[in-house]
Amino acid sequence: MPLSPAPIPLLLMRLLFAAIAFLLACCAPLAQADAPAEIIAKAVLLDDKSEEQIALIRSGEPSPELLALLTLWKEGGIFLVEGPEGTKIPVTLEDAKDADDKQAARLLLTRQPYLGPDGKPIRLLASDLNAAETDSDLRSAMKSILDLAGLASPDRSARLQAVETLGMEQDPLRLPALRARISKETDSEIQHALKEAVALTELKDADPATVTLACRALGELGSIRSQDALRLLAKDGHPAARTAQDALRKIEQHLQTVNIWGTLFRGLSLGSVLLVAALGLAVTFGLMGVINMAHGEMIAVGAYTTYVVQCIFGPGLELSPFGIHIVLPSMKATGWLYDSYFLFAIPLSFLTAARAGVVLERCVIRFLYRRPLESLLATWGVSLVLQQLFRLTFGANNVQVASPNWLSGHWLINDVSLGWNRVFVIGFAAAIVLGVFLLLARTPLGLLMRAVMQNRTMAACMGVRTERVNLLTFGLGSGLAGLAGAFLSQIGNVGPSLGQSYIVDAFMTVVVGGVGSLFGTIFSALGIGMADQALQQILGNPVLGKILVLVGIILFLQWRPAGLFVTRSRSLDN
Amino acid sequence: MNPQPRREIFAAGALALLLLVLMPALNAWAPEDSFFYVSNFTINVWGKYLAYGILAISVDLLWGFTGLLSLGQALFFSLGGYMLGMHLMLMIGKLGQYKSDLPDFMVFLGHTFLPTFWRPFYSFGVTALLVFLVPMLLAKGFGYLAFRSRIKGVYFSILTQALTYGASLMFFRNDMLMGGNNGFTDFKFLLGGDMRSAATQRTLYICTGIALLAVYFGCRWLTRTKFGLIQRAIRDSETRVLFSGYSAANYKLFVFVVAAGIAALGGALYVPQVGIINPSEMTPDKSLEAVVWVAVGGRGTLVGPVLGAVVINALKSWATRAIPDMWLILLGSMFLLVVLFLPKGLISVPGLIRDFLQRHRKPASPETPAPTPAPKVSAS
Repeated sequence: MPLSPAPIPLLLMRLLFAAIAFLLACCAPLAQADAPAEIIAKAVLLDDKSEEQIALIRSGEPSPELLALLTLWKEGGIFLVEGPEGTKIPVTLEDAKDADDKQAARLLLTRQPYLGPDGKPIRLLASDLNAAETDSDLRSAMKSILDLAGLASPDRSARLQAVETLGMEQDPLRLPALRARISKETDSEIQHALKEAVALTELKDADPATVTLACRALGELGSIRSQDALRLLAKDGHPAARTAQDALRKIEQHLQTVNIWGTLFRGLSLGSVLLVAALGLAVTFGLMGVINMAHGEMIAVGAYTTYVVQCIFGPGLELSPFGIHIVLPSMKATGWLYDSYFLFAIPLSFLTAARAGVVLERCVIRFLYRRPLESLLATWGVSLVLQQLFRLTFGANNVQVASPNWLSGHWLINDVSLGWNRVFVIGFAAAIVLGVFLLLARTPLGLLMRAVMQNRTMAACMGVRTERVNLLTFGLGSGLAGLAGAFLSQIGNVGPSLGQSYIVDAFMTVVVGGVGSLFGTIFSALGIGMADQALQQILGNPVLGKILVLVGIILFLQWRPAGLFVTRSRSLDN
Repeated sequence: MNPQPRREIFAAGALALLLLVLMPALNAWAPEDSFFYVSNFTINVWGKYLAYGILAISVDLLWGFTGLLSLGQALFFSLGGYMLGMHLMLMIGKLGQYKSDLPDFMVFLGHTFLPTFWRPFYSFGVTALLVFLVPMLLAKGFGYLAFRSRIKGVYFSILTQALTYGASLMFFRNDMLMGGNNGFTDFKFLLGGDMRSAATQRTLYICTGIALLAVYFGCRWLTRTKFGLIQRAIRDSETRVLFSGYSAANYKLFVFVVAAGIAALGGALYVPQVGIINPSEMTPDKSLEAVVWVAVGGRGTLVGPVLGAVVINALKSWATRAIPDMWLILLGSMFLLVVLFLPKGLISVPGLIRDFLQRHRKPASPETPAPTPAPKVSAS
């Protein structure tokens, strides 16, 4: 079958068209790119004819460039310089200043450097220049363009921000734009905010029926933001006063729900903090029966390790303990690499604290296994020494540990704010609890640990190297404390007495949970955390809440002297 | 009576003579430029040490003799101090900064009248009663709950630590009306005597010394009665005491309450001499510090704690001035070493040296009996 010659030119033609279309597509933005600058340049030159200026800036497509220029203008970043023959030329200044405080300038229109007649860039002094003027009409027009443009911004948080500002302005002129956006918006949270903004604006409506409807809508939405506006309505003799009161009541209910959930969440996260801090103690105190008063300092070791790692990733660190000068190198990392320091800090703080724990066990604790009260005293001595060492090495003040970016945001779910670091705390606590559980219950080492802790002598008789197991167990407990430190550095201050603020709570957690029971520790940590936050919420006073929790614990131990989960044994004492 | 206790009494008597008679006499009558003159500062500092000595005995009565390591003694100590402090605050009268009948901090907080619970403290007699009553009642309440549910050993320590911690949190608050963060200070008069005069301070010093002696002999008597025997039996094996039909909880409660009273007495004598009381005296750390004195001095004896309190505080006075950075390291490591290597404290050093010399003088007969079996100190 002979091939028809026609398809080939057709194909070529198509290819040609495609290429042209592609080129056009590439050029189109370039061709249009000048437009916003032109508009602004023209508008700037139309001095003191604000109506024309407003018409001009409204005429342009609200592209990001136009918006950026408008913002610049509004903030006084566009200047007019005298050109040849008395013309005025709009310019913007470069950021860098030289020794005389002078800055190079760029032409607004072409973005080219502003050159003098001799072809050299002219440097200008900002204070000598006249900023392009704006009057109040123009500024409000700019603001409305900017705000409305914000509604369509591709950035979610900018959009939310714009909706919220527009809502608070309660300007009826913005209603059409807001209403139009509702149908287009896909994000449910912004949709919610839009409805709220519309209703808020409608409160200013002259028609009482609309106002009543708006009040009802705000009540349904549980809008916390509109409380002030509604209170104003509810007070005066407005026909919608009753509806406003109803709406306020609904919002109050919503607020209560939010508070309850917020308290639950904070309680859960505080419980997780306690759990992380107490877990190491549950191993050393609960399983081994060693009262390690230096446990708090092991937490601080972890926190300071995090600090050092952060400094190495960032600006470097100079320490001079005891007159010895130590300079730690700096990686000068920025961006995601700097943010990843925490991922390195976590294992390192575990290892450092575990190593410190091993040294402590070898030097002090192994002599005191049969004298628990004395281990309390000796480790308190160690804790004093360590605290002072921190003070001498890192200074008596708190050091700054910056949270990585990926930990410093929050989710807002139905007005309950969930901080990412708190969510992270909860996840982290769950992860290490699982890790410890698996280690103790599913590995041969865990089996040996449990055997030695149950009956040291018997285990030794069976050929277990108890000394070694003790060492590893204590190392594990201290390492967990180090993990806790890495983690507490993200939500609190890091200072020499960091450990002291957690040690009492940690001991109480272990005692309430039942010494020797990891599950008990989990339950009591979460319970104490919840009780603490709930009491704080009810009493409105953190200290009083804490005292009540302590009293509650003492009374609780009346009821269950051995804690929540009792480890049964046949021995007479303990 | 075997020779060691008699020696102990002689040593205590000689020390008492030196501290109670000689030092105040030299302070009062020796000319200021003579070698023998004891300065007001020295008297004041030693008064503080002796008050600490009383606290140390209270710790030892619990820990050394009954095996209860209480970390709440600083609480009872400062409660006693606070009670007397309230009286002293009222005695300032209109001489305060605000020229008001109310204590300064109350005026500062905007109070216009004296709260009811402050009123009894106008009378010294009632104050003296409350100095003992309040801490002892607290001890009774807490001890009843703790001992009834058989909380012992380290659990008791941790619980008393929590109690102290909670109380200090409470006293740090302004609306407790106990001076908040700053506590009480700027005292002017005690029983009509000007608190800044040397004579008043000397009298206070002598009172502290007498109180210390009285506490010492009181505890000495108590620990030598049948009660003391049971006390030590509880320390060594509580279960056996229980099985022998004794109610260990009641014995422990009694000792706990007595020790609280002793600590409160120490606190009440301490406050007028240092001139300030604030909640930082109440922290668990302070309790632990008192435990250090006892451990270093020698627990299970009654001289040891006093010795420890004086030695460590003298060392502290010197070290916090001479080597402030190293003081905590010094204290911590000293404590560590004593616990590890000298479980019976400084008081056992002469005995250890004697044993050591005897062993080396007669290497042929290793079975030389120790001159006196020192009281057994066992783990609880």
